[in-house]
Parts: sequence; C-alpha cells; structure tokens
Amino acid sequence: MASSSYSNSPCAACKFLRRKCLPGCIFAPYFPPEEPQKFANVHKIFGASNVSKLLNEIQPHQREDAVNSLAYEAEARLKDPVYGCVGAISVLQRQVLRLQKELDATNADLMRYASNEMPQGYPGNSGSNQMGRRMNNADSSFGQYEYPSPYYMSSWDNSFSGDHPDKPGDSNT
Amino acid sequence: MTLKGGTSQACAACKYQRRRCTADCPLAPYFPADQPKMFQNAHKLFGVSNILKVLRQLDPSQKLVAMKSIIYQANIRDKYPVHGCLGIIQQLWYQIQLAEEELQAIHAQLAFYRQHQQQEVSTGLSDSISQLQLGMATPSNALSLFHQDAPQNYDNTVSALPIGSHPTYSSNSANAANYNATYMDSKENNAVNSLWVQQPPYNNSSSNINSNPMVMQSQLINSQPLIIQQDCGTQDYDEMHPFFDTIDDRQSYIASKEAYESSSESSLKDTTQSVEHVAENELKSAAACFSLTSVN
Repeated sequence: MASSSYSNSPCAACKFLRRKCLPGCIFAPYFPPEEPQKFANVHKIFGASNVSKLLNEIQPHQREDAVNSLAYEAEARLKDPVYGCVGAISVLQRQVLRLQKELDATNADLMRYASNEMPQGYPGNSGSNQMGRRMNNADSSFGQYEYPSPYYMSSWDNSFSGDHPDKPGDSNT
Repeated sequence: MTLKGGTSQACAACKYQRRRCTADCPLAPYFPADQPKMFQNAHKLFGVSNILKVLRQLDPSQKLVAMKSIIYQANIRDKYPVHGCLGIIQQLWYQIQLAEEELQAIHAQLAFYRQHQQQEVSTGLSDSISQLQLGMATPSNALSLFHQDAPQNYDNTVSALPIGSHPTYSSNSANAANYNATYMDSKENNAVNSLWVQQPPYNNSSSNINSNPMVMQSQLINSQPLIIQQDCGTQDYDEMHPFFDTIDDRQSYIASKEAYESSSESSLKDTTQSVEHVAENELKSAAACFSLTSVN
C-alpha cells in the first residue's frame, strides 16, 4: 500500500488537484505519489468527486480493490473510448460459450467411446458424464456474479432488483 | 419537467438534473424517461460532464454503442460496487482456464480410447498375420520384426498426447492467469492489451483465436502404425482406472481455485505417466511373448 499523507510528499491525487494532502485524505492510501498516471486516468474518466463518493460508500478493507478496478476500467476506457472494458467482457463471454460447445461435443465423443469400450455401470461412465457438467457447476459456484450479457439487456431498470452482494452490511463482507 | 405546451417528456438525465430537456439534448436518446435508475447509475460513476466528454470525441455512428457500454459498466458497478467489471472479467478468465484444462484432459482421454481401439483392430489383424508368420518364419526373424516396430510405436504413443500443448486461444490466458486486481501501469500492459479486441459485439470474426490444434493431434494419432502384439490386452482395462480416478478427484476442488490449479497440474502429470506406463507394459509383454520363441 502507498505511503500515508503524513510523510514527505502529498499523494498523487492531491498533487494532481494541487491541494494540500491532509492526514485523512481518502485518496492517499491508494494513489501513491509514485503512480501519478493512475489517478490521472481515474480522474479523467470518472472524476475525483465521484471516486471519493464511491470510496466513502464502501468499507475501508475493500477500498483498495475498488480503486484498482476503477483504475483498470479507466485505462480501458482511455484506450478504447467506445467499448472500454466491456469489450473484453463481450469477447470473453463468447470464448466461454465456444468452449462450452466444444466441451459438450468432446464429451459426447468421449461418452461414445466409453460406452463402446466398457460395460454398462462401469464407474468410469459416470465419471465421464460428470466431466462435462463441470462448467455448469463452475457457473453456479460463482453465483454471486450473475451478470447480464452486455448489449442484451432490454430493461435493466425494471428488472433491477437490488441484489447487492458487495454492499456494506452484506454477510459476505 | 415537461416542455412548454409539449407532450414529450423530459429524458431521465434532464429530469434528474431538473432542467429543461431540449430537442437536441445529447443524452435524451440514451436515457429514456421511464428508466431513471439507468441514468442515476451512469451519473454516479461517470458524471454528466465526463459522459459528454466521451461522446464528444466519438463519431456519430459510435455514440450509441459507446453509451451502451457506459450504461452497462455503470450498472455493473452499481451491482458490484467493489470490483465492478473487473470482477466479471476475472471470473470469465477463470472459467476459460477451467474449460481449457477440462478440454485438454478430455482430449487426452479420447486419444487413449482411439489408440485402444486401434490396438484392438490391429490385434485382430495381427493374430491372423502372426499365425502365418510364425508358421513360415524362423524365430530370429520374428525377433527382428519386433525390434523394427516397437521404438516407433512408443514414440507415437507419447507424442499423440496433447500434454503441454496449449490451444492457441489460451495464449492470452497465460498472461491473464497472472493478472490480479492490482493496478497495472503502462509498463505492464501485455495482459490488458491482449483482452481488447476492437470489434462490435455481434461480430463473430474472432477467428484470430485458433482452436484447431486438436486436429493436428488427431492426424498424429491416425498415422500410428499397427502394433504387433500378442494377446496381452487384458491389462489395458486395469490401466484405465487412473484416468477416471484423476478426473473424479479433480471435481472436489471446484470451490478452491488454488487447490484446483495444483491438483489439475498433478493430475495431468499422472495422466501422462499412466499412459506412458501402459506403453511400457505393452512393450514388455510383447517382448516376453517373443522371447519365448527366440530359441537358437
């Protein structure tokens, strides 16, 4: 983590904003003076006041992760003003779908071989059956990230139910 | 706030900001009045001025797509305030890694099955051939026949395994596997750059990701010569137990990423060793059968 604002130099945020870096500066722990570009990117895309409000709404032990994700998204948006980091999500989702199809097809091949090679009721048959379900199991094990596919949402506002696993007070936090 | 004497409603952006929504309001096309939450999320994350700044530098044809991505990003950030889109990206990378490892294991199994099938076919042929040869040839000739074929078979058996050969679409995953939530400065952009593909979401032209290394391997398998082998195939069924044991064991590690990664690597190694062990056993048993006949 970065040096605190008590030390010699102000944090990158206060340096950028040309203001005094006070002891309770919310940016200081996460924007060290050695990484000026990090804050510059975040400020350019999101704005310092928005970031400050965001950080104040989450718990201190989660703020570093939040800042790092904001920094990543800001850099992505600067490099790709049209899609930002959502482009990567779209590409990865398609990869996952393609891999799932390939797994299904390959599992079908495997089961054909297995059923031809071995007698019914062999333990290996059930093992190969469960193999292809690992992707679905993996999906359900990461249920806290149930996200819609980008560009497929029709009415986010109406369907938005308030499922906030990351909000303070959640049992996970 | 409605227009004077007009029937059209102010867009969600102008409603939120409590100002008049003019005909040329730049945000009106993207924030309909009946979805105020959408604008609130976008405003909370980006702010109106930053959204307008992004829009200003884009072509008119790109504005709709850019706004959709901004709205999506803001909604995700509202749902997951700590990790936002980065959490989803990391989860997707992990799913891809799991799927790739699973595919590798299945292909290894398939290769083993195909080889086993070919051996069964060749055993049926070789039985009739070997009976003719043993009746016509001297024992020393039969021994040289074995020496001629056995090393090649062993090499092909080992090289047919897809061990260590990653599909080319995983070239990005090698970088992403090391990617964590820490900020990457401009010097460490390799993994970040590898994720960005400049194409619209409906375009299926991601053919730069090649998924055909398995075709190469299947050709390799089909080119194996027939193995001259005595009736020593009963132990093949015993040797297949390690495959299914490793696969079943791996399922118990779904909840733990680190444990899974270490176990999948070791299970792949176990798979390699067990198949190599099979090849060695076949050679030894074949050698034993022939040694009985090599009497001078």
